[in-house]
Amino acid sequence: MSDLFSIFEYQFFQNALAAAILTSVLAAMVGTYIVSRKIVFIGGGITHASFGGIGLAFYMGINPLVGAAIFGILTAVGIEWISEKGKIREDSAIAILWSLGMAMGIIFVFMTPGYTPNLMSFLFGDILSVGALELYLLLAFCLLMIIVFAVFFRPILYTAFDPEFARTKGIPVAGFRYLMSVIMALAIVISIRTIGIILVLSIFTIPQITAMTFTRNFARIMPLAAIWGITGSVAGLLAAYLLDIPPGAAIIFFLTIQFLVIKMIMIIKTHLQRQQ
Amino acid sequence: MSKALVILEGVRTGYFSETVLRDVDLQICPDDFIGVIGPNGGGKTTLIKVILGLQPVFSGKVRFPGGRPKTGYLPQVSQIDKNFPITVKELVNSGLKSKNPWFPHLSFRQLTRVKEMLDEAGLKALSSKPIGELSGGQLQKALLCRALIDRPELLILDEPNTHVDKQFEQELFGWLKELNKEMAILLVSHDIGTISPMIKTIACVNGTLHYHPSNQLSEEVLKVYNCPVDVIAHGPIPHRVLKTHGHE
Ligand SMILES: Nc1ncnc2c1ncn2[C@@H]1O[C@H](COP(=O)(O)OP(=O)(O)O)[C@@H](O)[C@H]1O
Ligand SMILES: [Mg+2]
Repeated sequence: MSDLFSIFEYQFFQNALAAAILTSVLAAMVGTYIVSRKIVFIGGGITHASFGGIGLAFYMGINPLVGAAIFGILTAVGIEWISEKGKIREDSAIAILWSLGMAMGIIFVFMTPGYTPNLMSFLFGDILSVGALELYLLLAFCLLMIIVFAVFFRPILYTAFDPEFARTKGIPVAGFRYLMSVIMALAIVISIRTIGIILVLSIFTIPQITAMTFTRNFARIMPLAAIWGITGSVAGLLAAYLLDIPPGAAIIFFLTIQFLVIKMIMIIKTHLQRQQ
Repeated sequence: MSKALVILEGVRTGYFSETVLRDVDLQICPDDFIGVIGPNGGGKTTLIKVILGLQPVFSGKVRFPGGRPKTGYLPQVSQIDKNFPITVKELVNSGLKSKNPWFPHLSFRQLTRVKEMLDEAGLKALSSKPIGELSGGQLQKALLCRALIDRPELLILDEPNTHVDKQFEQELFGWLKELNKEMAILLVSHDIGTISPMIKTIACVNGTLHYHPSNQLSEEVLKVYNCPVDVIAHGPIPHRVLKTHGHE
């Protein structure tokens, strides 16, 4: 057991822990919006399209997160624009951007001369190498999102739920939709560093659906999802250390186990209540 | 005669290049109670969206002589995502306008009004429940509260009597009769039979709009307005629905 506690003394583990907690809080807010609007598929499109930006950034020798952010935002805004215009099927557009982004990423990484970047760390995340600068970025974005969600909670909720009605009440619906597209893209891209492209969507969805077994109130899902995200990711991180397995995958595994156990308990509980 | 709230003149609209409604002329005055009937896909919902400014027009004019009136909108229930995690209270809150768009929070007085309205509507016990747990009638009641909370001048209801029982329907029509003393009402319904005594005028919408300045749709009147209606009998009360118009 002393083994388990000694790990907390290491800087890299403290950073990883902070990254896990901040990513959970960020994903809780943005993920609640994604899950409530049933646009997980859009999140998938943004995530995978951003890989094209990572590849291009490697090729051009710039920071991969910048490339990912640009591709992510363009994809998110593009999907919103397509769904607003309605001329192309939204799901087809997402599928195209999804695979195109992955293809571009692979091609650019392949073309990058002399240097083969660690693809695995982008696909599966590399939480143990998160540095101070990245932590501050994550913290700053997290705080900004807390402010945005606190101040604009009503218009965000109402445009997500019934955009046409919201428009009749004078809410600038298109503005909020695009704002949320950009926020989704940035939140996903920032989280890729911690948890990777393949797995990032789960931290934006599993804690939320876990929270939704307890409450169907948007405002309450957010903090509850943050709690379930933190417990799952910290447990995953510790398990990764103890069992020497990849942290990103361990985190997702624990988030899922947590969800299944809670779901099971809730089902048994309602079953017992019905029998009484 | 009071000034019209909304005037539609020669409106043509649709989706992409496809025209759904053409040559629509309609005036809505402050004390109107217009019943809009028509077959599925006839363009009733599209007409509502034109009035609400949600649907752009291809040609023609939509005018608001006294400025855009405050509207209360009750959308078709199929437009509502019942699985969305929103509570009844929050749903009704969404009918209110915030004073400050940059800090869009509700005043204490506004929140008190929501509470009072939920009490009045008999939804007090359900106010913290998610909308997914409501029955068809309860959901319509909550949506009506959302439409009314901002004290509209024009109340627009899109098929509020779907998925509700006959008793709720009668209750609803009773409220509408009272509400009509304070506001104009435009009620869309695929079947007008049970409500016709309360409404003042009828509009048939099927590709275009035929206005009937009466709540009686006799065969003679319908012939004059070129608007054939079938009498059908399902349920205890025989009622009238619009037949496909010959001139489409
Ligand atoms: N968003 C849309 N995109 C394309 N076509 C639409 C859309 N909404 C309605 N329509 C078409 O417009 C016509 C009228 O629809 P609607 O106004 O909903 O009729 P109603 O409410 O009378 O049933 C239908 O043919 C429908 O298919
Ligand atoms: Mg309709």
